[in-house]
Amino acid sequence: MELPDQSEFLKTIIYLFVTYYKIILYGLGVTILLSVVGTIGGFVLALGLTQQRVIHIDKKREKRFTRILKQTLKSLGNGYVTLFRGTPMIVQAMIIYYGIATLDIFSWWNPLTAGLIIVTINTTAYISEVLRGGLQAVPIGQMEASRSLGLTHNQAMRKVVWPQAIKNSLPGIGNEFVVNLKDTAVLSVISVVDLFYAVKQSASATYRTIEAFVIAAIIYLIITYISSKFVNYLQKRVGTAKVVKV
Amino acid sequence: MKKFLSIFVLMMFGISLSACADSRETLVVGLEAAYAPFNWSTQTANEHTVRLDGQIGYADGYDVVVAKYIAEKLNMKLVVKAIEWDGLIPALQANTIDVIIAGMSPTAERALTVNFSDIYYRSEQVMVVLKTSQYVNATSLTDFSGAKVVAQLGTLQDDLTDQIPNVNHLTPLESYGAITQAVRSGEADAFVAELPVAQSIIGTNSDLTFVQFDEENGFVVTDEQVSVSIAFRKSDTELLEQINEVLASITTEQRNEWMNDALDRQN
Repeated sequence: MELPDQSEFLKTIIYLFVTYYKIILYGLGVTILLSVVGTIGGFVLALGLTQQRVIHIDKKREKRFTRILKQTLKSLGNGYVTLFRGTPMIVQAMIIYYGIATLDIFSWWNPLTAGLIIVTINTTAYISEVLRGGLQAVPIGQMEASRSLGLTHNQAMRKVVWPQAIKNSLPGIGNEFVVNLKDTAVLSVISVVDLFYAVKQSASATYRTIEAFVIAAIIYLIITYISSKFVNYLQKRVGTAKVVKV
Repeated sequence: MKKFLSIFVLMMFGISLSACADSRETLVVGLEAAYAPFNWSTQTANEHTVRLDGQIGYADGYDVVVAKYIAEKLNMKLVVKAIEWDGLIPALQANTIDVIIAGMSPTAERALTVNFSDIYYRSEQVMVVLKTSQYVNATSLTDFSGAKVVAQLGTLQDDLTDQIPNVNHLTPLESYGAITQAVRSGEADAFVAELPVAQSIIGTNSDLTFVQFDEENGFVVTDEQVSVSIAFRKSDTELLEQINEVLASITTEQRNEWMNDALDRQN
């Protein structure tokens, strides 16, 4: 296929897609991989992190040493969230990727593996905030009832409070996935071949930049639309209490 | 879904394995693959292209031809990695790549961090404008007085922009793709580019053209500013000497021919 003339906007878009569909689809795959791994990994890590941040300190019964230890864990957890929510992912990516590459300690360290780790640690901080909100939304009566039925604090957290908190958090976590689909575009700064990077490369020989990025916009829109629909569906199936129709 | 994931896991291992080859038998070259005609990426292989390490597709362009020539002369296996411009020098220092062959000008600032080879291409600086622009018939920098001019972040062209009298120096952009767009959309009146880059841009963007200057009416530049060199780690002096020897064997005619061929292939 010949490169269409400057004035042929639509034809140029079709030309770019037909010529570069391989790298564009590869980039799409990487974007989805980053978002899936980032959101699932971030969720699992955030469970631990959030528990660490809401750890229960019993001032009357616990020894001083235990209290200090718990308080330290709590502060570390909060510090993590402040650090990773308070700096842009693009900055984290530059520091972490080139920092560790300079140390030269991992043979498997490349843009993709680094990108997966960066998006995961970043998402952990965000999902931890979602989960903390979910925990706070569980009425205090749940804990009180559990305790009066003879459960320890930890048992009550594990069996009564956390399941409800996770249920409360599902929309927020799903939202985090949709956000990741778009925000992982910044990882192209460390040369992760995601959808954004792939599309940019597809314009590298011709400098038809707008046309190339229209392709990116369409693909991003399709995947975020589908995943928002899926998140809504999931939410209905899990059945978070009865929702007021608006 | 499982199959889908396992393919990606394999892909990741493939990338990580290919990354750890002995650096003395292989020459790992870093470039943007987005700075035509020096280097760009393509999906179709030809006799000049080299597979891009860790992604789908091939690198083509003047730099790739030079890299291939060097690797052949030094009997090394050539690996080409596409890396964002800002990441090239960090990647060099992190041993991710051995050399940068990316149309990079050997400026004094960069030379504090990396070593540069002898010049492997020399070019002149021009201004790219819309064909319909009021600046089309400009003959000197003074004619661009008051124009909105844009350039790529962290490049020589961005520094040169300030030589235009009363210039409205816009915030520098990330890539030539974005810069081209800024001029096409009228957001900027012009941008400064090396002649081959300008030629390649107007070759694919028929609404653009470029303005050349006589030596006394154009930008004041030093030799090192208008030339491109290969960058090395400070410690890597042996490789630098070997590659300088190879570069010395390439005549100016040969260089110009390679550049013209690259411009042809790109369109």
